Amino acid sequence: MHYLTVVPDQKKYSEADLVVALKARHQSAFAYLYDNYAGALNSVISGILPNQEEATDVLQEVFVKIWRQIEKYDDAKGRLFTWMLNIARNTSIDRLRNKDYQHNQQNLELTESVYESGVTQPNIDKIGLRKVVHLLKDEYKILVELSYFEGYTQDEISKMLNIPLGTIKTRLRTALVQLRSLIKP
Amino acid sequence: MDIQAYIQSGIVESYVLGLANAEEIAEIEQLRLEYPEVNQAILDFELSLEKQAMDNAVSPLAGVREKLFDRLSSEFEAEAPVVPINEEITATPVIPIQPQTSRSWKWVAAAAIILLAGSIWMNIYYYGRYQKTASDYQALVTERNSLQANTDLYQTKLREMDSSLLLMQNPVMAVIKMPGVPGKEGNTATVYWNTQTKDVYLLAAKLPTPETGKQYQLWAIVDGKPVDAGMMGNCNGLCKMKNIPHAQAFAITLEKEGGSPSPTLSALYVMGKI
Repeated sequence: MHYLTVVPDQKKYSEADLVVALKARHQSAFAYLYDNYAGALNSVISGILPNQEEATDVLQEVFVKIWRQIEKYDDAKGRLFTWMLNIARNTSIDRLRNKDYQHNQQNLELTESVYESGVTQPNIDKIGLRKVVHLLKDEYKILVELSYFEGYTQDEISKMLNIPLGTIKTRLRTALVQLRSLIKP
Repeated sequence: MDIQAYIQSGIVESYVLGLANAEEIAEIEQLRLEYPEVNQAILDFELSLEKQAMDNAVSPLAGVREKLFDRLSSEFEAEAPVVPINEEITATPVIPIQPQTSRSWKWVAAAAIILLAGSIWMNIYYYGRYQKTASDYQALVTERNSLQANTDLYQTKLREMDSSLLLMQNPVMAVIKMPGVPGKEGNTATVYWNTQTKDVYLLAAKLPTPETGKQYQLWAIVDGKPVDAGMMGNCNGLCKMKNIPHAQAFAITLEKEGGSPSPTLSALYVMGKI
């Protein structure tokens, strides 16, 4: 958190220049990327993985993926941060799912515990986007929790909560529009 | 299509957050190209999401950066010029990148020293080889020159022998054998006398090497009187002597160098009649 306040003193890359320098495999570009985005990506990861050790491990993995897959980044499809955010989210969910799967073989039958694991983690509720999600009404919150933070498909959620797929889809869309207005600066 | 309704449907957020399915993704990626407002809505949401994450950043543990750079150190490419990262900034929350760079520089320096040492050794080695080769070459050149000189010598001799042979085979050539006189029996020489041109050639087949200051002289005996027919020089094969129009015999005496006006009969070696 501390260093974010001094970031403006640093050599400033435009996003396009940064991507070019990263593709040229420049260490200084990677250092800049880490110094500028590690905190933000860490908050995304920590929002999904409450265990700090695990989150730290995934953060490293995420940066290695970003570094090694930068060639695949296409700026026509979105901003660099959005691309990195999705890598961070997917990697975190993979880790979460692996762990869940190891702990309980039943997977989809776990409605209650999954639901509770989402809402009863006190630390997670205070981190990043998840903090904002918790401002939503419960019926919306659960859908964002399960889909965005735990990676379940809408079909899976429909079965878990025993709510029709169409309703899940409509409610999730509404939840996301509300989320947008909450984080809009 | 009511594009505003589409934008407000939550599809933009689904798409950006990675919650849209393949069909929805294909649709919005098509529509963002057709409708700038769709594209703008996507960019706006991306930006606010980014800002939200930045504002809520959670500093990673201190060792992460170092571990990460360690792990990727072999994958960085050299860049010139190096973009300096303000040390004051990196010094506070984060491990400085110095250890990695200095370590890699050590490897580079070590590699450079090894290469240099190798290069010096090879220079010395190849200089030694060059020296040896140069002297071997000199020796070969000298040897070749002496062989060439020998060959020239033999060629000259061969040419003389050749022309001698031609002369001897000529049918107009009269051959006068001169055996050793009593007391000089071991000696012999032959005169070839061209009966047309009257040229005289001497083949000194077997005469002792004259002592220094002495030279063999050929005499033609014309009507009982000795006539100087020339000195025997240092020639191979047939030695051309003086032209003798007619004679009854030839003889060789050993005289002082340059010859005498009349023969020293005590030094008569060989003699032959025509």
